[in-house]
Amino acid sequence: MSDPVISLQQVRKHYQDVPVLDIPQLELNAGIYWLKGENGAGKTTCMKVMAGLLPFQGDITINNTVNARQHPVQFRRLINYAEAEPLYPAFLTGRDLLQLYFRTKGGPQEPILELAERMGVDNFVNNPVSSYSSGMLKKLSLLLAFAGNPAIILLDEPLITIDTRTLAILYDVIRTWSQSGASFLITSHQPLDTNELTVAGTLTIANRNITLN
Amino acid sequence: MGIFRRIFTGRFYVENTGFFLVLFYFLFGIVNASNLLYYHMGLMIGFLSSWSFLILVLALWLLYNLRITGFVIKTLEQPQYSFLYSTMTCMDDQERRGRWLRLQFQMYLPVFVYGLIAAVVGIFRHYYLAATIILVFNIVMCIWPIRFYEKKLWQPDVFFFMTRFSRWLDRHFVKPPVLYFYYELFTAFPRKIFTTKLWSAGVLWLTFFLMHQSDFLDLRALQLGMIACVLLHTQLMIHHRAFEEIYLPFMSNLPISTLRSYSRVIGFYVLLLVPEIIIIFFQSNGRFSTTAIGTAAITGMTMLLLFRVLLYFPRMNAEVHLRWILVIAFVVLFMILGGAVWYAVAGMQLVSALIFFKQFREYEPWIDIE
Repeated sequence: MSDPVISLQQVRKHYQDVPVLDIPQLELNAGIYWLKGENGAGKTTCMKVMAGLLPFQGDITINNTVNARQHPVQFRRLINYAEAEPLYPAFLTGRDLLQLYFRTKGGPQEPILELAERMGVDNFVNNPVSSYSSGMLKKLSLLLAFAGNPAIILLDEPLITIDTRTLAILYDVIRTWSQSGASFLITSHQPLDTNELTVAGTLTIANRNITLN
Repeated sequence: MGIFRRIFTGRFYVENTGFFLVLFYFLFGIVNASNLLYYHMGLMIGFLSSWSFLILVLALWLLYNLRITGFVIKTLEQPQYSFLYSTMTCMDDQERRGRWLRLQFQMYLPVFVYGLIAAVVGIFRHYYLAATIILVFNIVMCIWPIRFYEKKLWQPDVFFFMTRFSRWLDRHFVKPPVLYFYYELFTAFPRKIFTTKLWSAGVLWLTFFLMHQSDFLDLRALQLGMIACVLLHTQLMIHHRAFEEIYLPFMSNLPISTLRSYSRVIGFYVLLLVPEIIIIFFQSNGRFSTTAIGTAAITGMTMLLLFRVLLYFPRMNAEVHLRWILVIAFVVLFMILGGAVWYAVAGMQLVSALIFFKQFREYEPWIDIE
């Protein structure tokens, strides 16, 4: 059996005194996973914890070697996250954000710039995000999630807001990146299209824990 | 149309009631009623007969006009008034510009009336040039903001004061993270940063004025002025934290070391005090050595850094923060007076670094759960 791409050990998350996550153990091998759960079950919190956006108790390790606490910078190079409802400072342009991600995440720029062109992001990349519609903002956020050389990409509700043409492109990109070795954890209230993606497993979040089916 | 008058003129006077009350008190409340007319006649003749006084008065009127312009732009940026874009842009160009002109005139009216009376007095007292300047200035003040309002109406994404230049910048310059909060302040809250800087400049001017009056040019007095400037800037810190909490969580997923993040915070607060250092440099006119100015600058920047870093304790709300600021400021002041400034600086730097490196990765906004 191959090494897990990401493993969570005794991960607990509280908002003040209210426990929201309590995951004794979770190990995911490479592949595409669908994370499902009811509203408020903790899907987004779980993703934010994994992506390093929220502090937590316990351990998260990528590729069995890179630990979130011991190697915070390396860890963040290997995990990317696209929010369900992205929010950026109004004055920043798409170009500012792309350059920031290129500079920090590293990796080749060409595939991202090509993807930007396919998604039509290049048409508005020089404008401040304050002028973007929610769909444009979502496209930019999804684009940024592919920057660098991530081992795992977390996509929070990627299927909402975007148009059907972009959705087809997104499925295609997920397939391509997956074939290149990247794993995906995708939350969605709608089942992922099995004609488009081969899902390695479904994760259900309930009672603060995640179970792999 | 009454709706525009209520949205702009009505709200402007209601929101600025405090300002008008203070202004009214200074113009009409501090002088005996029997001397009021002579007081204002004297005031008007004062600025009609003195060019420097007239420039000062015109500058104050310009500031008042900027207050109006800022208010109108801010109103247009509020989501609840977004319907103005779809309604006002449907109006005939001439009608819409006329509407703007009337609204601008209604809000500028107090200054316009005062200026008109001053101009009439000027004509009767044969200050023809000054009267003409006042008249032309006030007419221009009623007209030029219309261009801004029109631009905002047709290009809602363009920020105040940052039209063509900001577009050029967006195309040719990638904003570094250290400048993010400056962009936020200058684009969305220009009045806040300009007011802070004006007060800060005023404090420094007063510091030097008092030092010259008493012929006491001492570094400790300058440091006291610097502490006052730092205290004025602390109001920006809660805003800075809120900005980072709301808009910059995405940066926590970026592979940026804690040291680099700390450098970004240091960089922001070093840049924040640069205008004050320039003012001190020119005001001191060679009477303070570069070392003395540097000492004052480092003390101020270190205090700002420590005060900001305190906010990485999630439960540090504005009230508790202010208490800590005042306590620390008093301790630092006494250390300066006791000649222990470098111990104070070293101590604050050490505490700032310790807090930041311990708290940065663990910080998350505190939400009160009932």
